[in-house]
Amino acid sequence: MEDLVRYTIECASEKGVEYAEARLHVDSASAFTLTDGVPNPVQLSRERGMGVRILVDGAMGFATTNDLSKSSLDGTVEIAYRTAKASRKLIAKPIRLSLQKAEQANWETEARKPLTEVATEEKFRVLEEIEKNLQPDIVKATIPSRTLAIGDDITERYFANTEGARIHGKASRVDLLYLLTVYDPTRGIIQRIGQCGQTGGWEQLEQWDPPRLVSDEAKILGKMLREGKQAPRKELDLVLGPEVTGIICHESCGHPQEADRILGREAAQAGESYLKPEMIDYRVGTEAVNVADDPTIPNSNGFYLYDEEGVKATRRILIKEGVIKEFLHNRETGAELGVGSNGAARAVAYDREPMIRMANTFMLPGSYTDEELIEDVKEGVFIKTFMEWNIDDRRYNQRYVGLEAYLIEKGEATTPVRSPILEITTPGLYGSVDAVGKEIEFEAATCGKGEPSQGAPVWHGGPSIRLRKVRLGG
Amino acid sequence: MNPEHIVEEAVRLGLKLGADEVAATVTREKQKMLRFSNNSIIVMQSWDHTVPAVYLTSKRRRAAARVGDPGLDALEDVMMTLKGAMDISKPGEVESTLPKGPFKYEAIPNIYDDRIPKMTSELTDVAEEAINAALTEGAKRSSGTLITGEWERFVKTSAGAEGYDRGTSIELSIRAFVDDDASGMGVSCGTRLQDFDPRFAAKEAAKTACQAKNPVFGDEGKFTVVFGPSIMAEFLNRVASFASAYNIDIGLSYLGGKVGQKVASEKLTLLDDSRMPGGMNSCSFDDEGYPTMSTRIIEHGVLKTYLHSSYSVAKYGGQLTGNAFFGGGTWGIAPVPLNVVVEPGEHSVEELFEQIGNGLYLTNNWYTRFQNYQTGDFSSICRDGAFRIKNGKIDQPLRGLRISDNMPRIMQAITALSRERQWIKWWEVTTPAYLPHIAVEDVGITRATK
Repeated sequence: MEDLVRYTIECASEKGVEYAEARLHVDSASAFTLTDGVPNPVQLSRERGMGVRILVDGAMGFATTNDLSKSSLDGTVEIAYRTAKASRKLIAKPIRLSLQKAEQANWETEARKPLTEVATEEKFRVLEEIEKNLQPDIVKATIPSRTLAIGDDITERYFANTEGARIHGKASRVDLLYLLTVYDPTRGIIQRIGQCGQTGGWEQLEQWDPPRLVSDEAKILGKMLREGKQAPRKELDLVLGPEVTGIICHESCGHPQEADRILGREAAQAGESYLKPEMIDYRVGTEAVNVADDPTIPNSNGFYLYDEEGVKATRRILIKEGVIKEFLHNRETGAELGVGSNGAARAVAYDREPMIRMANTFMLPGSYTDEELIEDVKEGVFIKTFMEWNIDDRRYNQRYVGLEAYLIEKGEATTPVRSPILEITTPGLYGSVDAVGKEIEFEAATCGKGEPSQGAPVWHGGPSIRLRKVRLGG
Repeated sequence: MNPEHIVEEAVRLGLKLGADEVAATVTREKQKMLRFSNNSIIVMQSWDHTVPAVYLTSKRRRAAARVGDPGLDALEDVMMTLKGAMDISKPGEVESTLPKGPFKYEAIPNIYDDRIPKMTSELTDVAEEAINAALTEGAKRSSGTLITGEWERFVKTSAGAEGYDRGTSIELSIRAFVDDDASGMGVSCGTRLQDFDPRFAAKEAAKTACQAKNPVFGDEGKFTVVFGPSIMAEFLNRVASFASAYNIDIGLSYLGGKVGQKVASEKLTLLDDSRMPGGMNSCSFDDEGYPTMSTRIIEHGVLKTYLHSSYSVAKYGGQLTGNAFFGGGTWGIAPVPLNVVVEPGEHSVEELFEQIGNGLYLTNNWYTRFQNYQTGDFSSICRDGAFRIKNGKIDQPLRGLRISDNMPRIMQAITALSRERQWIKWWEVTTPAYLPHIAVEDVGITRATK
């Protein structure tokens, strides 16, 4: 495989290009699913192919193929070259790439129990064990619709560019997805789509203890459905659990700090940003707010050590003490803003261009226990998990609808409440945080961006946080 | 490797491995995509893929694989693994059988234009034409995507279906900005160059952007809304998907058990017209080899059928609709809509504004998320031009609006449709839709409060 990548780079070099890179991916994945206890089709996929990116006179061409014959690779290089040249007449500002070290590296995720050695029987056994633990007498709720899925994928990637970088990476990932619909004839329906995901081997799934985890979720759904009262609609204090903190950090910190959005590259798709290039050092929140994005967390869902432009991955501090400190960059935006890449270029497959993505985005811990966050609230709501959410395409006006949530009365979490709605601006939200918990949790998610769309595995998370005087509405 | 040979071998191998039934397809796709932003090309991309896929059934068990490696060795290796895993799986609820062929596939007119695959440097010319048209119309900057595609599909099943089909497409979506808070989107798409008008899309985008200048924050409350085709295309993409028996099966639909019931205003007739001449996704057969058709999903407000595959017909009853395709979630092959079509109304768009008198005109949206797919509670963010309608005319541009409502209620509250229709397909609307402007009463609107 390395030979094919080297061959492709040599082909591109012969054309006298400014820059070229070749990525060869060999990917395999499987999925096993039960719906209401009945197996859905076993699914397998296998992909391999080459993606070639070429820069000619400031214009970028990208071509891909899954025919790895040398004649096909020649043709793919030619197409990338020709399409780049065809673009030149409509380039307002030539694309330049930041100078980066030409890395030589070999990295791999660690797996104590490699996914290739896990028998199909074991995957179905776990699913059936989850199913057993969802019986009404165990969870005290009726769940007429249950879909449970275990998926795994292994991706092996070979990267080379005309600057001498040579990187081989291999990652395996396992995930669990569950869709539960809980029904009560007098109280209606409540749904939860939950996901766990980590890089590594089968041991990661085992440590989630899926039968207990999903069963506990079902019990909570039943409780919210049976006991949930109408959520207040007024100004009060809020405590948000790690799951909610995580989605907030992802949506209204990570995304607006992607430099390609800030520069308008995604305007016709995922949108732009409320931030401008000159807004480094802009205060968006209180001093309690610190947010990072870090691809290097071992076994995280967004784990990588070198990005898809061959740049070494590193922790990025996005917000420090309430102030915007760093954007997420690839080599193109790193050159344009004069700061270099910080290794945020990801591509989910060989046939997708590398683009700026988050990896694992989270709020850094403070010093409070959850009990301390709550005990200082006279009247408020504790939103532990969420269901519906969205944010405008400048990442300013956002909404989170709580799933598991409780009233806070005189410093104690008390009655369950249904569907509390927080609709707030980004500075309004971060500017209301007065205290941050010390226990971090992460949630797995798939982040969508790009055209064609790329669903990138990420984590988002953080500790519980407390917001003062915000309005719950809806 | 010859695709006919791949599907032939896949069926032979599947039966040899002991499967009761086999459906095999090969899709060959060549696409080019030019992306531009701030009036400048940012990348031109090109794809050339051959992808076999195979679906096996055996004693109430099912399995599916997609093999993005066109070599026979890879296919054989995957199929052996697949059959082994399928045998370990417990049997499903029902025994389904693939549609019995052979079938005669009628050619669909106007879905192939041999000029489209030849375009490379011409794409730059088209993008330049669109950018310049937007600038002339008053936009300051534009971003967008121009995509051309040529596809071929081969199918063969052990039940005697065998077919070949091909098509082309070209699409432009352009977003024009006058300033950061004033934008508009235009779309032009088709299967032939004569159906494609980049200047029209660019002018629409720029016109909306210019109208949207100096927006003020809108109010919360209930409003009668005229939805533009882009926003309704996104909503009705979802409603058509909710009619898929697959989504009903896994609990991600509010339409379960409602065939024969009134699920929308009688003004709404919604089709999946997979055989529409010139339709963006029109094709002759599905991945089980069954001929595609024009399916009335909702007729005058009444849900007429789910969209089906052979498995869903076995499970839920009804007739095949020719919607079974690979990639449809955890079923491997599952029903998906191809061309979402709404029958037109009787009014001009201006008459819709006059009818509602006072309300809102919303042109586009993104980021629709559901609290609960079985109740249909959701919210979605308005994007690009949003306007107050006052005394039947477009008035003040608005910003910061969110539609916070319930999809079944919105469908029931449709009051009028325009007679002009338009194709919509863009980043947020992945299934092409052909539809009019649509007026809806009492739409919930919310906004951020701090």
